[in-house]
Amino acid sequence: MNIDHHSGLSFTEAGGPQIAIKEVTPTTVTFVLSNTDLSVANALRRVMIAEVPTIAIDLVDFELNTTVLADEFIAHRLGLIPIISHQAVHLNYRHECTCSPYCEECSVLFSLDVSCQSENAMSVYSTHLVSSSPAVQPYVDPANEKGVLIAKLRKGQQLHVKAIARKGTGKEHAKWAPCTGVAFEYDPHNKLRHTTYWHEEDARKEWPLSAKAVEEPAPRDDEPFDYKAKPERFYFTVESTGALPPTTIVTQALDVLMRKLAEVHRVLGGIAEAQGEPVVQPTYNL
Amino acid sequence: MSMIEPVEDTHGFPFTEGATKFEIIPTDAADPSSATFVVHDEDHTLGNSLRFMVMKNPAVSFCGYSIPHPSEFKIHMRIQTDGSITAAQALNQGLDDLVALSEHVLATFEAKVAAKGDYETRDI
Repeated sequence: MNIDHHSGLSFTEAGGPQIAIKEVTPTTVTFVLSNTDLSVANALRRVMIAEVPTIAIDLVDFELNTTVLADEFIAHRLGLIPIISHQAVHLNYRHECTCSPYCEECSVLFSLDVSCQSENAMSVYSTHLVSSSPAVQPYVDPANEKGVLIAKLRKGQQLHVKAIARKGTGKEHAKWAPCTGVAFEYDPHNKLRHTTYWHEEDARKEWPLSAKAVEEPAPRDDEPFDYKAKPERFYFTVESTGALPPTTIVTQALDVLMRKLAEVHRVLGGIAEAQGEPVVQPTYNL
Repeated sequence: MSMIEPVEDTHGFPFTEGATKFEIIPTDAADPSSATFVVHDEDHTLGNSLRFMVMKNPAVSFCGYSIPHPSEFKIHMRIQTDGSITAAQALNQGLDDLVALSEHVLATFEAKVAAKGDYETRDI
């Protein structure tokens, strides 16, 4: 097996995939990816949802829980709290770490120690969590500065927990997904007929046009069906949970995708080397 | 109270540590133009985009992938070339091309984000 390195494609400003950013807010980014294949756009979407690492509470130790809520119920709520995850790149995954059961290299400790002294019910928010690392804090939405409601306590009730937050990805558990959702749309006029209608009498009347429809020319009534046409403009809106800024989710997703490919490339090169072929170094650096 | 790790600590995540990442199943030992590549711990994310990239190569006559069983976390990628290159070379080039494409998208995205003023921003 002889593996020669020669890249067959080069991407120029005009020839390769293009991006037009429409809007950036603190939690969302809206952009159009064009001049590429559905499989590439879908790979980006899938990586953003499932493979961009974030930090989330994973192991919860209840020292005292006299609230009306069950331990596992609170543990689940703690897991779903978005935690600012810029530090995730510096943290080990649990399986990468040799420690047992956890250490500073692979985890962040949160503690919560609250008791209700007042006659009124007390609300416990994510801002009550105390982190062992100043750089790793629960995300707080500016519009809701108390954070996420965890539990409510009546007079005399107490909640004292130690929670271990770890690095993970959305494919292990959705609590690690950095986005609440990725809106993904192409072909707003359904020219490609990827959407098949069922029992509509007049689809044009019954289905409102997408907001993206203004971006592409509407089909003429006498236009024949182009069975060779392929989708090439993809409308993305990435909405972040707050764990990572939305533009960072996109850049990290592309980085994760490249690392996956580089890993397969490296192993393929290793097999070639074992069979006596010269090693070809990849041209890219990761 | 000490923190005790749950016994079943993988959460069912199909991570196979230390397992082989990659295998080659030759369809015919004498014919390197055709092979099935098994990539472990990968799914449609890599499979479909890599299939597209390998198919772009004019020397490749067939490239397809499948996930043979939903509870086994691996893909099978079958490549058949016209004989001018080996299947492994076609895969290698597909990997390189897809990395180049991802790099291009990343660089383009970063440049567009840096060009503030070309897009709308809202605080909430």
